[in-house]
Amino acid sequence: MTALRDYSTAVTQQTLTGEPARYDEVVAPDGTLRPSWRPLAESAVQLTEAELRRVGGDIERFLANDGVTYTPPSMDPGPWRLDPFPLIVDAAEWSPLEVGLAQRTELLNAILVDLYGPQRLLRTGTLPPAVVFGHRGFLRVSARKSAHDPHPLLLAAADLGRNAAGEWQVIADRAQAPSGIGYAMENRRVISRVLPELYRQAGLHRMAPFFQALRATLIDSAPNHAPNPRVVVLSPGTHSETAYDQSFIASSLGFPLVEGSDLVMRGGAVWMRAFGRLERVDVILRRVDADWSDSLELRKGSQLGVAGLSEAVRRGSVRVVNGLGAGVLENPGLLPYMSAMCQLLLDEPLRLPSVQTSWAGDPRSMAYVLDNLDGLLVKAIDDPVDLAHRSHDELRQLVLAAPYRYVGQESLPLSQSPVLDAHGVNPRVVTLRAFTLRYGSTYRPLVGGLASVFADGQARASKDVWVLKGRPDDPDQGLVDVLPLTNGRAPMAMVPRVLEDMFWFGRYAERAEDMLRLVLAAHASAEDFRSRPQSAGGASLAVLMGAIARLSGSRFGPDELDDNFRSVLLHAHRPGSVAQSIGALRDAAQSVRDQLSPDTWRAFSSTDRAAANLVAYHYSHQVAESAGEMLTGILSLHGVTANMIRDPGWRMIGAGRAVERALQLCHLLRSTTTVRRGIDVDRDVHNAVLAVAESAVTHRRRYRGYVRLAGVLDLLLADPENPRSLAFGIAEMRQQLAAMPQSTGSTRPERLLNDLAEELDRADIATLTAIEGENRPNLERFLDACIGQLTRFADAVGELHFAPAPTPRSFGFATVVEGP
Amino acid sequence: MRYRISHRTRYSYDEDVSDSLGIAYLVPRQLPWQDVLSQGLTLDPATDDCTTDLDYYGNTATYFQVTDPHRVLDILATSEVDVRAEQHDEAALAAPWESARPVARPDVADAWRVQDLALPSSLAGQTAEAHAYAAASLGPGRPVGEAVTEVMRRIHADFAYDKTATTVTTTVDDIFDKRAGVCQDFAHLTLACLRSHGLAVRYVSGYLATTPPPGKERIVGADATHAWAAVWIPGDGWLALDPTNDQWANDRYVTVAWGRDYADVPPVKGVIFTEAKTSTLRVEVDVAPVT
Repeated sequence: MTALRDYSTAVTQQTLTGEPARYDEVVAPDGTLRPSWRPLAESAVQLTEAELRRVGGDIERFLANDGVTYTPPSMDPGPWRLDPFPLIVDAAEWSPLEVGLAQRTELLNAILVDLYGPQRLLRTGTLPPAVVFGHRGFLRVSARKSAHDPHPLLLAAADLGRNAAGEWQVIADRAQAPSGIGYAMENRRVISRVLPELYRQAGLHRMAPFFQALRATLIDSAPNHAPNPRVVVLSPGTHSETAYDQSFIASSLGFPLVEGSDLVMRGGAVWMRAFGRLERVDVILRRVDADWSDSLELRKGSQLGVAGLSEAVRRGSVRVVNGLGAGVLENPGLLPYMSAMCQLLLDEPLRLPSVQTSWAGDPRSMAYVLDNLDGLLVKAIDDPVDLAHRSHDELRQLVLAAPYRYVGQESLPLSQSPVLDAHGVNPRVVTLRAFTLRYGSTYRPLVGGLASVFADGQARASKDVWVLKGRPDDPDQGLVDVLPLTNGRAPMAMVPRVLEDMFWFGRYAERAEDMLRLVLAAHASAEDFRSRPQSAGGASLAVLMGAIARLSGSRFGPDELDDNFRSVLLHAHRPGSVAQSIGALRDAAQSVRDQLSPDTWRAFSSTDRAAANLVAYHYSHQVAESAGEMLTGILSLHGVTANMIRDPGWRMIGAGRAVERALQLCHLLRSTTTVRRGIDVDRDVHNAVLAVAESAVTHRRRYRGYVRLAGVLDLLLADPENPRSLAFGIAEMRQQLAAMPQSTGSTRPERLLNDLAEELDRADIATLTAIEGENRPNLERFLDACIGQLTRFADAVGELHFAPAPTPRSFGFATVVEGP
Repeated sequence: MRYRISHRTRYSYDEDVSDSLGIAYLVPRQLPWQDVLSQGLTLDPATDDCTTDLDYYGNTATYFQVTDPHRVLDILATSEVDVRAEQHDEAALAAPWESARPVARPDVADAWRVQDLALPSSLAGQTAEAHAYAAASLGPGRPVGEAVTEVMRRIHADFAYDKTATTVTTTVDDIFDKRAGVCQDFAHLTLACLRSHGLAVRYVSGYLATTPPPGKERIVGADATHAWAAVWIPGDGWLALDPTNDQWANDRYVTVAWGRDYADVPPVKGVIFTEAKTSTLRVEVDVAPVT
């Protein structure tokens, strides 16, 4: 039996046993396929559960390779989950939904214009005033005559579910800063690759033209028809819930992804800080909630927005999408009045119904809500906090204390759809997020969407949404005339924060690489000599362990050696560990995701798999195995950077790598070569140092296996042709810095580099290796001096190139009030 | 009465400030009982970017930005204002207080709009304590003028004036805990008490002309900004109550701005970009009678 046949049988029997009636997305009550699935019947029905498992595995791997994450509120980022079965809607069913969505968005826009302007809805009693005045999203700073905006809503989303009869109803509207289009695109990209036959057979609407339309809309929305408008995507940062979605949109649309600290207010307009200059910003696609986007007039102390943004918007010097006041629409208190509002504002009947909702601010509705706490979902009008597990008494108290703040909502049965989980293919409830864009003078829904799968009230996975074409030659998205997206990368948007992240991207990649090489060398030595600590090999192992301790800055002793190796690879909270460097590397990469090739994320999916294997397998050799796989992943980043455009961001990666490599090299030499330990031990140690510094092959060719410290130092410090040498690193740093826009040849970092280069030139290998007793004091002094100079250099690069603006603070911070 | 008002706000910092953005509510409102004869606002350092706009409540909001590095920001607002005591409709004040709830009065033209001022706001939370405190004065059917005046009287009697007790972020709970505060706290308390019973009340920011003690000269600069609360009375307008001084506002009260609470209409607020560690605020207000 195949998976869908089994599913069909199970679902039909379930219907007979009198389970709560749900609409099934795939199977009709009589056991036949729904019309939307019939065109796919042949391929879909043949899929076995084993095949689906393989597809599920492919999906996980594709998503990991693309680095697709989702961060549930107040949790750590986790992988984005996607079910293999799409949610399929055929043309006949989609068409009325599309009309309903367009009308609804037009209505929502009209509501916004009215609430922030004439307030007819409130004046006429069509909408109870407290629904609006008592909602946090109603921003009085935008409700001024001076702030008039006829089109505050450019992009809206609606969460939809089906009732038992299969009719779509709106559960909630999203207007503040709707998220999910990026995830929808990613889902499509993955599903089309893992189920290619099904995808081709389906004849569905591709989504790309919608993205092109979105881009055109944003550009056209620039105030005063600026000729070459600069559009930016304002993100709350890499730790936000939908950071992936934000950077996906920024990079696919070719707009820079910025954070509040990258922008500044001047002369009533918003500007972006780039290379010490300011560049005018015309349009901000806002993913920061309005309340947080202006610390001057909205939430005091917020660092996520631009102080003064409300004023810039009122002056019309910048367009914020959606308008700052749009949050008032994310308000279930509006739902009971949608129909009346539609009549008043559009003079039409409302097409797409909302879930039956009662606003407790109305005394009769409050009585109804309190009498039906069993069957209703109680929600706050402006707070997404889940009240589902509050007791009836608690709910009653909440509602009675501030009735206008609550609604009671019927809970839709919602439809079910087959979902692949650990137990097989099972029916799970789904909701659909639909998106609508203002394009030209009309509202156009995305022909597609993002579906969410729920189990036990929790969102478990997403689904791709396939809307089938009525005729094969229908244009995708019903759009024939959209200009194609230029494939150009984001315009150069090297705000200091981005340059800093690039610099650290280089540094952490190098730090991870160097530690991995050191662990590999030390582990190899440990495999041979751990049981013979008194031997020469045992002594050199001790030296290498000392090097790990020095480079990581944390203790690394011979007890529990395997645990120690595992910990230095796996434990992110251990200072200097590989896991810590990779975590920081990933953070840096995520905050400049729009600047980086998607290939970047393959590196992390390799290191993640290597780490998972190390956790799973307890053999000692797994340490070397996993460290090697991690190294492969990290090394692949060199391939990513090799293909980058040579812009200042790339230069900062290069400079970061070079300075980190030089620092790690000096620390390595400092902890291994400044003490004499006898010929046998020294030979082992020097060989290991050459391996760690990835210069063993060259050395063997040049010196035919004869290892002397002078030769090692010549190759690792002075050789200008060895890319691992200090001399090479200094040259690299000089070259990268010289090409930066702020460089003059005499800036502090450039001066520090010149001094270091001279110091290296003056150094004479014979003098450096000179021995006093057991020690080489000249080498010690030289390496310490290099480490100091490199550290000062790295700091100076930061001060010159990434100097952040001072932190904004409110008037009257730390204030002493003087009496009159 | 006519007054010449000077209100100087000066922030000093221990390091340069490279960028100051601010919003000021310092221009008195033109009202049926108050004429603004002249007004001006000057900043030092001077700035090109200083604009005024009417906010949602009809107050004049001044936006400014200073981008010259500065260690002192000096904001001087001056005006000349003529104020008359408001006359109230006796019949409206005698109506039962319940009929002054805006939700109960769809027959009154602006009732829908003032519902805004019957809801809680960030600095005037409608706590159970505030509700109970006011309930003692709001017996069923009691005339609204009398009832709200009694609430004002009790606040004046029960709470001590103490400049050290509170800050600009003090909540209604804090005020009840300390049983003390300043004019702004008493205004917030009045808002919380009366709004929790469904009345619409607005926070008013302005000045009170002080009378020197008998036989003493007026001391220039010894006045201060003041705040009080005004209750919506259908068929009359707004009854302004000053719990700090236990009286209705009269021709010694200059109205600058009103809103839901202090946060809507602070005299000056702003954001600075600086490495400075400390700042010093000095405020000098002078309300001089013009004869």
